[in-house]
Amino acid sequence: MKAPDLDLAAIAPLCAVALGAVLIPLLDVLLGRTKTFLSRPVTEAWAGTVMSLATTGVLLVALVMCFDAAGSAPRVFNRDHPMILMDGMTNFLNIVILIGSLLTALASGKFLADLSINRGEYYALLLAAVLGMMLLVAATDLMMLFVGLELMSIPVYAMAGFRRDSLRSNESALKYFLVGSFASAILLYGIALIYGATGTLSLREIGARFDVDDPVLLIGSGLLLVGLAFKIATVPFHQWAPDVYEGAPTTVSGLMATTVKVAAFAALIRVFRMAFGSIDELLYAALWVMAVLTMTVGNLMAIIQQNTKRMLAYSSVAHTGYLLVGILVGTQVGISAVLFYLLAYTFMTLGAFGVVAVLAQAGQERERIEDLAGLANSRMFLAVVMTICMVSLAGIPGTAGFMGKFYIFRAAVEQAFATGSSSLIWLAVIGVLNSAVSLVYYLRVPMVMFMREPEPGQEPDRSGTFEGLVLAVCAVAVILLGIWPEDLNLILTRVDVLHWASVASAAP
Amino acid sequence: MFDIQENLLSWVIFLPIAGIGILLALEAVGRIFMSRRLSDRSWRAAGMGFALGNFGLSLLVWQRFDPTDGGLQLVEHSAWLPDLGIQYYVGVDGISLFLVVMTGFLLPITLLASWTDIASRVKQYVFFMLCLQTGMMGAFLSMNLFLFYLFWELMLIPMYFIIGIWGGPRKLYATLKFFIYTMVGSLLMLVGLLVVYYLNAQQFGFLNFDYIGHGGASGIIDTVIPTAGAPWWQTQFWLFLVFGLAFAVKVPMFPFHTWLPDAHVEAPTPGSAILAGVLLKLGTYGFIRFAMPLFPEAAVELSGLVFALGVTGIIYGALVAMIQQDIKKLVAYSSVSHLGFVMIGLFAMNLQGLEGAILQMVNHGVSTGALFILVGMIYERRHVREISEFGGLAKVMPVFATFFLIATLSSIGLPMLNGFVGEFLILLGTFAAAPWVAVLATTGVILSAIYMLWMYRRVFFGPVTNNANRGLLDLDTRERIVAVALTLPMFWIGIYPASFLRPMDAAVSELMRTMEQRGANIAAHNGGQSALASLPAETSERVSWLRDKDHASEAAE
Repeated sequence: MKAPDLDLAAIAPLCAVALGAVLIPLLDVLLGRTKTFLSRPVTEAWAGTVMSLATTGVLLVALVMCFDAAGSAPRVFNRDHPMILMDGMTNFLNIVILIGSLLTALASGKFLADLSINRGEYYALLLAAVLGMMLLVAATDLMMLFVGLELMSIPVYAMAGFRRDSLRSNESALKYFLVGSFASAILLYGIALIYGATGTLSLREIGARFDVDDPVLLIGSGLLLVGLAFKIATVPFHQWAPDVYEGAPTTVSGLMATTVKVAAFAALIRVFRMAFGSIDELLYAALWVMAVLTMTVGNLMAIIQQNTKRMLAYSSVAHTGYLLVGILVGTQVGISAVLFYLLAYTFMTLGAFGVVAVLAQAGQERERIEDLAGLANSRMFLAVVMTICMVSLAGIPGTAGFMGKFYIFRAAVEQAFATGSSSLIWLAVIGVLNSAVSLVYYLRVPMVMFMREPEPGQEPDRSGTFEGLVLAVCAVAVILLGIWPEDLNLILTRVDVLHWASVASAAP
Repeated sequence: MFDIQENLLSWVIFLPIAGIGILLALEAVGRIFMSRRLSDRSWRAAGMGFALGNFGLSLLVWQRFDPTDGGLQLVEHSAWLPDLGIQYYVGVDGISLFLVVMTGFLLPITLLASWTDIASRVKQYVFFMLCLQTGMMGAFLSMNLFLFYLFWELMLIPMYFIIGIWGGPRKLYATLKFFIYTMVGSLLMLVGLLVVYYLNAQQFGFLNFDYIGHGGASGIIDTVIPTAGAPWWQTQFWLFLVFGLAFAVKVPMFPFHTWLPDAHVEAPTPGSAILAGVLLKLGTYGFIRFAMPLFPEAAVELSGLVFALGVTGIIYGALVAMIQQDIKKLVAYSSVSHLGFVMIGLFAMNLQGLEGAILQMVNHGVSTGALFILVGMIYERRHVREISEFGGLAKVMPVFATFFLIATLSSIGLPMLNGFVGEFLILLGTFAAAPWVAVLATTGVILSAIYMLWMYRRVFFGPVTNNANRGLLDLDTRERIVAVALTLPMFWIGIYPASFLRPMDAAVSELMRTMEQRGANIAAHNGGQSALASLPAETSERVSWLRDKDHASEAAE
């Protein structure tokens, strides 16, 4: 029996994160013990900062590795059984995930201290979840896909309930856990049926053996689709999202709305492009209806929300709908638009959740939209960042959000020209009308911040250095991606983001 | 790159926002290194300086403009996102020239007019006003459709804040309504824009957003847009409707005008003045620049609809204005009426109609801007705008009454003032194209005389009945400067319109020729003026007394 042909260098970023996930708890223990070594005890806040910085460091190392691998030829981990594929798309989405989680880790230190839930497990769980996401993005095999999905989900269940003393946080965790396990079960059942019908778990093989007339296979792919739809929260599988985002600590909500979604979307793209290569009419129609419903319901429900986090949850549902348009288009232009959108979406959503997180103080989150009243008077910086994020989420030109929508709708129109069908034109029309609807709730936030007087008795609090840095990065990235989407000078490495996204999606 | 002569239009567009950058940098330096802030006063003064500089640059554009050339001038073209055909491409022609000059003119005027009126959050005010200026200038000068769309939407944000922060009691409702109305139209236009973009790509083999091809290349305007025999969403009819909706909301054309009274009444004085003076013009500008030349056959086909809505707007706006109790609301509805004139002038599609419409855009900007600013002056003194609160003001504030009278008469269209020239040309052009439309529109002129003069009589004449009005101070020096500055162009355009009409000639003929080449039988539509057939002779046919003699003899040669 010959030794397996493994390419460890290909998965170096994953290894770095895995190592970090193991070592970070040790650091936590070490910090707890420092009391014995040093004469004075370590303060809670100081320990939190160290933990947060160490996690950020780990993620930064992985990020640099990913940048290093940018543009190189696709590699697989195990050449005999290609289950983990490190191609352009994996790499691109890994970078998106790492940036998102890095910003989250950096912003978490002060936030957790403010809520007095500063415990080291948080960072270990974060790293484990990131590892799961990266696996999910790289999976080209249904088994690996499932492993990645679970490795991502289970730590996030725990993180959602991280405020143990808060009833809502507990509710959030329980709800997320129940719905998540249910979704996993459905997904697994779908995988089983697909395996039964085709005799393989490899996405490429399934694609080769795909038979539209096989009912078992169709049911299996339907179940797989539903399982993933739960994870990315499309209508009608979205009900959990607002409750969970609302109850979870805000940094965790931000993570769930961005990186978790990015990873699940990657799985959807892989499944669609590799396994269901020739999407048959039925799946296409189902996805079309799902996209329209997701946009419309998400936007309409967001209008009536009074809680910023719930509003952002519905907004994230709506954005899932726009992203589905790109997947429906299915061309390389469409997929690269989705990849770009995911990057843009990560920055703007993290910025918005970041502002809500910064507002938390003295053990209390201030998450009603009303709590933002007069923010422009007391904390101009937060108001400006929030405005930029809202304007970008609404898709006003000059921001990343607009470029993302522009790319997606352009792909839809292009494909409509290629096929001559008007169903994609309708999708674009419904999409832009939805953007108009979304203005109602996005613009309400700057309205409250700039045009209303603050409630009395709110002491302006100082935001931490790292939090401020994270917010500034998000705001600047949103603007830069909106003005120079093509050549954004990303952290020392000159990466032609859009071009790269299109190359990335060229790989199978 | 920073040479004013070489990049004049970029200077015009970006000077205001560069000014913001400088001010913000100074503010940051001051706070960090000297732990003190710039005063409101210095922001205001610096903002005024940048606004004046902007106006000076727009005058320089006029000075360097060659009136014999109907094409784009002072063109700048450089790659931005070349893979997608998105370039930084700006240029000016006879259609946009005076809109740019007017935009440059109104900003320093409004800043000066609001010197004491806007007292809170002055820095933010200067910030948003200068951003707005960049957006408006950019929209008028962009020749790449993507760039145009960018500026077109970007300028909504500062206006949203200007109305929302400094507005009246119902400001939140008004500003959101304003924003959403305009966005619904323009977002649908985005889809239409993409369809045209891919039609162009299909025909020329590369992606391109340039409106008029640069340096011999093809542009969007060269696209053959089918009228039939293609999927419905690729036809002129639907594309014209989508573009037209975006522009009609902005104009605003009846029945899309309902956001306008709300926005105007709630907006602070400078907001109203800029909104009426410039933002509404972007709608009519969009029609003449994009919707009509791109979809000429649909424009001819649907001109009946536009005429009907235009005339309805003229009469309806005038009737509603007549019953208003609030002076500002009255002026707002008069805008609906006046812009109806502009629309029918445009869709007459002959030289008189088009030139009259362009001139009327400028006229309306000046006259209505002036009326809003003057109403603002009295509001600053009394904090009410109901007509019934006033009476006999002519005795208390004679200077104010005089300037208000000039603005009123200019809005009505009294000969020797600017409104007359525009309305006369429009009616002349419309009469050639559709006599009944002209007849109906003329009643609008009469109605406007009724409601404006009636309002003027109630506010300024008679005895002073309200004691609160007795001690009112007349205009001070600053306000007199504003009023005089606003009055000058009214007389200039009214007495010597040739200096404004001449630079338009070539560009408007060019526009008509483009429309004919693109398949529209506009000669049959507009009473016989074909740009292709009668270009050399056509000048003499026109109302020659409106032109200067040099020009007439030049054309005769």
